[in-house]
Amino acid sequence: MPLLECKGLTRQFGALVAVDAVDMQVEPGEIRAVIGPNGAGKSTLFNLITSVLKPNAGEVVFAGENITGFPVYRVAQKGIARTFQRCHIFPALSARENVRLAAQARNARRAGAIADEALEHLRLTRFADMSADMLSHGDQRLLEVAMAIAQRPRLLMLDEPTQGLSLEETDRAVQILKAMLRAGNLSVLLVEHDMEVVFKLADNITVLHRGRVIADGAPAAVKANAEVRRAYLGGSE
Amino acid sequence: MSWRLRFALVAGVSLLVPFAVPQYSLTVIVAALIFSLFAMSLDLIVGYCRLYSFGHAAAYGLGAYCAALILTHLQLPLPIGIALAVLVTVAIAIPIAWVCTRSTGVSFAMLTLAFAQLGYAMLFRFRDITGGSDGVVGIPRPPGPFGIDWFQGRIGYYYLVLACLLGSYLVCRAIVRSNFGAVLAGIRENEAKTVSLGYNTRAYKITTVVLSYGFGGLAGALYAGFAGYASPELFFWLTSGHVLIMVVVGGAGTLIGPMLGALFFVFLEHQLSQVTDLWPLIFGSIFIAFVMFFPQGILGLLRRRHAAA
Repeated sequence: MPLLECKGLTRQFGALVAVDAVDMQVEPGEIRAVIGPNGAGKSTLFNLITSVLKPNAGEVVFAGENITGFPVYRVAQKGIARTFQRCHIFPALSARENVRLAAQARNARRAGAIADEALEHLRLTRFADMSADMLSHGDQRLLEVAMAIAQRPRLLMLDEPTQGLSLEETDRAVQILKAMLRAGNLSVLLVEHDMEVVFKLADNITVLHRGRVIADGAPAAVKANAEVRRAYLGGSE
Repeated sequence: MSWRLRFALVAGVSLLVPFAVPQYSLTVIVAALIFSLFAMSLDLIVGYCRLYSFGHAAAYGLGAYCAALILTHLQLPLPIGIALAVLVTVAIAIPIAWVCTRSTGVSFAMLTLAFAQLGYAMLFRFRDITGGSDGVVGIPRPPGPFGIDWFQGRIGYYYLVLACLLGSYLVCRAIVRSNFGAVLAGIRENEAKTVSLGYNTRAYKITTVVLSYGFGGLAGALYAGFAGYASPELFFWLTSGHVLIMVVVGGAGTLIGPMLGALFFVFLEHQLSQVTDLWPLIFGSIFIAFVMFFPQGILGLLRRRHAAA
């Protein structure tokens, strides 16, 4: 049974169909990336899965349960943790307090220990007592990932984790994410703009174009797919 | 100095106050302590949820009128009457909190104000029970339970108020430092993120508003027993405004700051109102000055002074 299943998910904004009858699955332990040009509907898809937006049609099934239309916090309680495209942290709290609050949502008694572990995983331990808004942009993004894994999710959803990072920061973030994902045996759904990042991290790729799935498969196959090259890669590679 | 030591010191000094000041000053001090409790209760909403309640007089008025009616009609012992008044206030606060927390920002402020004004209007609508503009007068301080009567005198009542204030402070302090308080910090910093971590933030806000009404109701109930009467002005928006100003000037989100703000204003009002009628003008100017130049409030100023020394 797939861990996450989107069945015919559709969301319209006025005349624009941002996500159009999308079928997609994430298997347990799979790292799946969703790619597509700007405006392809990636972030909308994320918001539909996490119930931030309600779909016009279709459903989201998580671990066999239909979670469509659940309140946002209930989706999180079911075991889906996410990061946001625009970094969402608690700026005035220390890095540790940020992660502790995330851990507390699932395990209040061991929250402190889980938080320290998560900081360690993302190599943020030395910043633990710093106010989160004092961290570099790259470390803030990693902090948000640390918060997500401290929730001990069954599905981790990362929305463009390297957006706005410099080349070096991106390399570092990818290394850290890769080590973490390999160690954690996590199921991951990843939206990413940077093709290099996607090919380094993902087992499988879903390609969105104008709200529709135009390809789905292993990185090599997707890379070779003619329609994808036309729509997204622009034949430039 | 650890906070326990500081707390013990403040409590110890407070115990000696009745023997160090003239009797008539004790009246002002009790009024100031009651208002401190009231301001601290509002801080739970303003300082910890960053929701600006413009109708906290509702909590004060509810507590005061409930206590007034219970004590005059049921003749229950004072502590039990006050406790019952707090319970009734909490019960009424639940639907109010449920409605108000549907919104934030200005709408939250307006909704809380609306409920307080509704309470104010009801006092005149149900004149037979509430006494209308006359209020409830001649509220007794019945003795008991177990024949306790030390709170009937002026000094005894001071100790009752002091115990309620210190006890409430300890409870509030424990609340804001608990896991529950950590979630409130999250709501204050970034509510959307807090929701996405799996917290039902609305439930947390409702709980906080209800708690705040409970402590505010306690302050109101203590006031009824202290003054011996309850008048409609307790429900009036000026009361809400005053206490909000005390919270902001004292330093929101610190519990202690709003208490200092209340003490500051009650004593200043007492001193200045003997000299001039322009007291509200001074009140307003101080408020403006603090918002513009010392947004961290009195406590922030003290801490800065302390850190510099």
